[in-house]
Amino acid sequence: MNEPATVEFEHVFKTFGNRKVLDDVSFKISEGEALCIMGRSGTGKSTSLRLMIGLLKPDSGRVCIGSEDIVHSSEKDLSRVRRHIGFLFQSAALLDSFTLGDNLALPLRRLDKSKSPSEIKRAVDETLERVGLDLDVAKMPSELSGGMRKRAGLARALVLHPKLLLVDEPSSGLDRITASEIDDLLLQVKKEYRATLVIVTHDVRGARRVGDRIAVLDQGRLIGFGTATELDKSDHEIVRRLVSES
Amino acid sequence: MGRFFTFIGEVSSFGLKALVDAFWPPFEWEFFVTQIEEIGWRSLPLILSAGFALGVVLSMHTRGTLVQFGAEALIPSLQSASFFNELGPLITALLVAGRVGAGIGAGIANMRVTEQIDAIESLSVDSFKMLVVTRIVACVLILPMLTLFMDFASIAGGFLAEYLASHISLQLYLDRAFKTVEWANFIPPTLKTSVFGFIIGTVSGFFGYTTDEGSDGVQRAATNSVVLSSLLIILADVVLVKAIFFLFPRNAV
Repeated sequence: MNEPATVEFEHVFKTFGNRKVLDDVSFKISEGEALCIMGRSGTGKSTSLRLMIGLLKPDSGRVCIGSEDIVHSSEKDLSRVRRHIGFLFQSAALLDSFTLGDNLALPLRRLDKSKSPSEIKRAVDETLERVGLDLDVAKMPSELSGGMRKRAGLARALVLHPKLLLVDEPSSGLDRITASEIDDLLLQVKKEYRATLVIVTHDVRGARRVGDRIAVLDQGRLIGFGTATELDKSDHEIVRRLVSES
Repeated sequence: MGRFFTFIGEVSSFGLKALVDAFWPPFEWEFFVTQIEEIGWRSLPLILSAGFALGVVLSMHTRGTLVQFGAEALIPSLQSASFFNELGPLITALLVAGRVGAGIGAGIANMRVTEQIDAIESLSVDSFKMLVVTRIVACVLILPMLTLFMDFASIAGGFLAEYLASHISLQLYLDRAFKTVEWANFIPPTLKTSVFGFIIGTVSGFFGYTTDEGSDGVQRAATNSVVLSSLLIILADVVLVKAIFFLFPRNAV
């Protein structure tokens, strides 16, 4: 995937049982842009992220990463696309039977076969240093605090230098200072890696700080898409209430 | 009734997929070795102590009856026949279903609800192979070995009980214990535990891998894994014993 890490949803529909989670959602995210997806719980935000990495398939519509339609691509092509995508899960999702170092080494071993063990170790150490966890490489996930787990999850998402970083609720369960530190890291990643960021969040302050644009979902429909300033003037009350800082 | 058959179909296709994937590269050696240690090595103390204790108990029970007929010389061979043919394989499988089945069910379910399986999939790693197939193959290979340990621990326990009761020598006890044992009534019952291992791995893996109900789902996966594995082991045993009698008629005599 040498082309820009753009993300495009084209008329995406997704249901779980009888529940319509995404209802004809279309939008496009440009290379290097940070998009924050907001909305009330159960409106399809995390589902959108999972569609972007191919963990879920839509009922209909297209999800394109760069020029690759990952809905209809083969496992091999999907694997090639995923090589350039990092995913920070809401719970960090560190493998609890692995040390922190092994958690970071896993993507390198599986998706970048060219690296020798010493190169993998160096990459792990460098990435952990970047998120301030270089002294915790041998710790198990259960030994880490909530904020450390988030940073560790971010380190794993970054270890392959992704062009597209998907982040699911980076501030959930964290105090305001730690959440702000995570936002700082995301801004740093955006600047240094020139990565495209898609962040699902309930944190208005963080969304306005990190996001270039904000998408607002409600009952599976995209009801707002634009900069925070644009959305402040939206006709839709839910949009104004969700993006308002007050 | 329809739901029951749907469920049976789902578990069967789950096991069948695992069986096919086990022979299809890439092979997850690293995770397989970890499971051998987890399922085999860590079950060993339980198997050895249970086998030893059951050997003592069975010997004490049979002595009381056989002495009345002056047949106490048969105690060692009765002990070995009971354990090699039936008790060793069945009790080993039930103990492993309790210890390992619950662990597999709860462990994989926990990985599901904490998004660890999604994290593995997002790296384009086949989580089914990594988490389920490795555990099933480990169960299949390790059960016969644990059964051997159970069998010999029970002989040791039986000898201790007999030694304390009649001061029989080890040499004489072993001579009597193995006099009637043939390969045909030792190997097939031991190898049938591979089927039990397949049942434990498949059922537990199924409940863990398919859970989607949060922490309640983890608990349910653990319980269901043990209950259904144990039940299926006992039912499969009936069929396997019949099959062994058919293939090795001397075992039925």
